[in-house]
Amino acid sequence: MLGLGLGIAALGCGIGMGLIGMGAMQGMSRQPEAIGRLQTVMLIALAFVELVFLLTMFLAPGTFAGK
Amino acid sequence: MGTSFNPNYLVFAEDTEPSFLGFWLYVILLIVIVFGLLAYAKKGYGARVFTNPFTAASEQLYLFIENMVVGVIGAHGRKYIPFIMTFWLMIFFGNMLALFMPFSPTADLSFNLGMAVISISYVQYEGVRQNGLFGHLSHFAGPKLGAWYLIPITILLFVIEVVSELMKNVSLSLRLFGNIHGGHIAVAQMDKLGGAFLPFGSLVLVMIKLLTVIVQAMIFSILTCVYISLVTHHDESHHEEATHALEPVHVTG
Repeated sequence: MLGLGLGIAALGCGIGMGLIGMGAMQGMSRQPEAIGRLQTVMLIALAFVELVFLLTMFLAPGTFAGK
Repeated sequence: MGTSFNPNYLVFAEDTEPSFLGFWLYVILLIVIVFGLLAYAKKGYGARVFTNPFTAASEQLYLFIENMVVGVIGAHGRKYIPFIMTFWLMIFFGNMLALFMPFSPTADLSFNLGMAVISISYVQYEGVRQNGLFGHLSHFAGPKLGAWYLIPITILLFVIEVVSELMKNVSLSLRLFGNIHGGHIAVAQMDKLGGAFLPFGSLVLVMIKLLTVIVQAMIFSILTCVYISLVTHHDESHHEEATHALEPVHVTG
């Protein structure tokens, strides 16, 4: 059960991070002058999406421990 | 070390929790590495041309951090560079240590939580210093709503903002801990998967972890910059002026 939950979390975070990367790359290719600023914002967004998976990884064992 | 040769132990032990004294030995090792490298780099600053490679590298690192801090916070963020630089160096070398050692200070939740508490406390201190205590607290309450029956919403917003401010500690520390410690676990599992046929098969993952080393140091320092800029950017005209003065590129055509 735990593995399935981790898989679902990884799936969602993969899609989310892929969307962020896609958006950033499109922006960079349209406006190469803004690459530095876009990279910064992209890294911040990636960090926030990644945190969801990490929270799942650390909270799920505690939640499912009694079940 | 056991009686038989166990390659997993040399690369990454699965049980990587040292004792309290062991943890402090790793912290001291990290401090010695950071201060030693910087002291060695400092020797070359008197030269007209930087012949010491560590001096040149530290200069480049300073320019990189300065660019990042000024880009995120603005021109008045130059005084926060030493603060951000300390975080960057400690996290970067801690993560590098995690590549070579079975344990590292940044792979421990308490060390990361300590750094996050320092970061967020400093942000609150700066907010109070720049906006006054009442101004800083009213910043939590969101925009001013006109009608009297909307006061419960303001109170609700205040509570939510305070909780999210406290959760910033958790998110900063848990992100770093999860990435570094999770990387250790992944490498240990990869070693198990390879078994006797591929005892060092996890070295592929170590190369990917090299990317994590830099990205995590960047993210911690960028997020600290963002939090600082959130509490110090209130004057709208000042904000406009700062972003305008720091526009690094001019779009032509």
